[in-house]
Amino acid sequence: MRVVIAEDNALLRDGVVLLLGEHDIEVVAAVSDAGALLAAVAAERPDAAVVDVRMPPTHTDEGLRAALRIRSEHPQIAVLVFSQWVETSYARRLLSEHTGHVGYLLKDRIVSTGEFVDALRRVAAGGTALDPEVVRHLLAAPAVDAGLARLSAREREILGLLAEGRSNVAIAESLHLAERSVEKHVTAIFTKLDLPHDRSDHRRVLAVLRYLRA
Amino acid sequence: MILLRVWVTARLWRELAFVLWGAVLSLPAFALALLGIAASALSVVIFGLFLLADVLSLARGAPRYFRSPARRLLGWEWPDPPPLGAHTRWGRMVAVLGDSTAWRALCYCFVRFPLIWLGGYGVAIAVVSGLLALTYPAWWFVAPNPFNSLDAHTWGQAWLEAGRGALLLLAMPWFVRLIVLADSWLVRGLLRPTRAARRIAQLEAGRAALQADAAAMLRRVERDLHDSTQARLVSLGVALARIEHRSTEQPVRALAEDALGTVTEALAELRDIVRGLHPPALDDGLDVALSTLVGRSAVPTSVTVELTARPPDAVASAVYFTVAELLTNVARHAGASRVRISLRDGGGALTLVVHDDGRGGATAGGSGTGLSGLTRRAEALDGALHVESPKGGPTTVTMTLPREG
Repeated sequence: MRVVIAEDNALLRDGVVLLLGEHDIEVVAAVSDAGALLAAVAAERPDAAVVDVRMPPTHTDEGLRAALRIRSEHPQIAVLVFSQWVETSYARRLLSEHTGHVGYLLKDRIVSTGEFVDALRRVAAGGTALDPEVVRHLLAAPAVDAGLARLSAREREILGLLAEGRSNVAIAESLHLAERSVEKHVTAIFTKLDLPHDRSDHRRVLAVLRYLRA
Repeated sequence: MILLRVWVTARLWRELAFVLWGAVLSLPAFALALLGIAASALSVVIFGLFLLADVLSLARGAPRYFRSPARRLLGWEWPDPPPLGAHTRWGRMVAVLGDSTAWRALCYCFVRFPLIWLGGYGVAIAVVSGLLALTYPAWWFVAPNPFNSLDAHTWGQAWLEAGRGALLLLAMPWFVRLIVLADSWLVRGLLRPTRAARRIAQLEAGRAALQADAAAMLRRVERDLHDSTQARLVSLGVALARIEHRSTEQPVRALAEDALGTVTEALAELRDIVRGLHPPALDDGLDVALSTLVGRSAVPTSVTVELTARPPDAVASAVYFTVAELLTNVARHAGASRVRISLRDGGGALTLVVHDDGRGGATAGGSGTGLSGLTRRAEALDGALHVESPKGGPTTVTMTLPREG
C-alpha cells in the first residue's frame, strides 16, 4: 500500500514514516502543509493520505479542508484524518458527503500502532474508521431521530461499533457475543432505522450516516 | 512695554479668533440649551421626556463640538466622553436622562453663551471706541466736537480722550485673556470627564487589556501543548511501539508495552488539561464548541446558536465555561432528563439561556453549585447572570453579556 503523510511536526512525521515502513506500508511522500499535500496526492496517486487537521498557516482546519478536497477530486484515494482533540463536527463534515474511504481518529491513536494500521488498511480498502472517543460523543448527544430513539442500549452500542468501522466478527469479539447474535442485533438496527434491503455493506454505511446526521 | 508687546504676539490673535468664532459656535449650542430647558419643563408629559433625551444625546456631542477650535487655536485637549453603557433604544434613553456627562455638557452650552458673547461684545466695544478715542485729537482738529457724544471741548480734553482710548486698547488683550481663562474653567468643570469618570475609563481599558492578554495566553499555552507536548508524546509512543514491534526479547516487549500504556494515559490527561484551559474547538466558533461540549454531557442536551457575528474571545470563553459549569451542575444536582441551551445575540448583547427540567432549588448565592462564581464571571465582563429555579423545578439560568466584552 502507498500512502502520503501530511503532518507539520517533523519529529512526529518521521516517526510515523518509520512506523508505517515497519508495517510494510510504503510512504511515497511526507509533507508539512495542505498545499504540498494536495500536490503530492495529485502527483503520486497514493492509496491513502494520512492528514493532520491542524497545519500551517492558520493552524485551524486546513487539513480537514484538504482532506475533503482529496475526497471529492480523487474518490478512489482514501483519507485518514487525525486531530488533536475530539471534534464531532469534523466527523460530520468528513462523512456527510462520502461514506467510504474516510477515517477520523484522535492523534493519540497513532500510539496504539495496531489500531492505527488497521484503520489505515480499512479506509484504503473503502471502509470507514471513526475514533471510539468521537463515537462516544456522538452517542451521548440526544437522539433527535425517531428511528435512533427506538434503539435499545445494546443496539446503540453495536451501532457505535459499526460507526467505528468494525466488522460483525470484530464487534462480536469486543462485546464477547456470538457472531450470530451480533448479526441479529444488526438486522434489528436496520429494521428499526427503516433501511432498505440492499447489499449489507451499503446498509451498514447508511445506518452509520443516520447516526451521524441525527 | 509688556502692555504693547502683547499686541504683537500670536497668542492674542488666536485668543481673539477663539472668542469671536466661539461666539458663533455658541449660538446653536445655546439654542439646544434653551430647548433642553423647555423639554425639562415639558417632561411632565411623556413627549417632553423623549425630547429631553434627544437634547441630552445631542449635548453629549458638545465636548467634541467645542474641542476642535479649542485644540486648533489654543492647543487645549480633553478626552471624548465615556460611551453610554446601554445598547437598546429604550436603554439608551433611560441612560442618557441620568447621564451626568450629558447634563454637564448641556449646562456648558447654556453658560458659555453669555460668557463668550460678553467677551465678543467687550472686544468689539473696546476696539471701536478705543480706536475712535485714540484718534480723537485728529477728529477735533478737523471739526471740533465731531461726535457730540464726548464731552471734550478743549484740546486738553481731546488729548485726555486719546489717552483713555490708548488705555482701553492696551487693556483689551487682558480682558480677552480673562474671558478665555473663564472659559477654560468652564471646560474643566463641565466638558472634561470628571476625575472618577476618567479613572473608570482607565480601569475599564486596563481590565479589557488584561482579559485579552489572559485569553491570548491561554490560547498560546493550548497551542504549545498541542503542537509541541502532544506531538512529542505521540512521537515517543511511536518509538515505543516500534521497539515493541521489533524486539524479539519478551521482557523488552513487555517494558515497551507498559511504557506505551503510560504514554497513552499522559495523552488522555493532557487532553483533559487543555480542555480546561482554552477549548480548541472555540477557534472554530461557539456553535462548534458548544455542540462538542454538549456531546460530553451526561444529560441529553439540545443546543441552538444564532449569532450574527463572532463574539470576542473573552466573551466566547465565558459563554463556553458557563455552559460547561451549568451542565456539570445539572448532571450533579438537578436530576434532569433534558437540557435546552440557546445562545443568540441582539441589541448589542449576547443572551445565553440554559433550561433544564430537573428538581430546581438552585440559588446564585448557594455554595457548591458554582453559580456565584459564574455570576462573578459574568459581572467581570459587565454582564449579568439570572437564576430562576423554584423548588421542584424547572431551572432556567440566563446570562447576558455585552458583545464588546
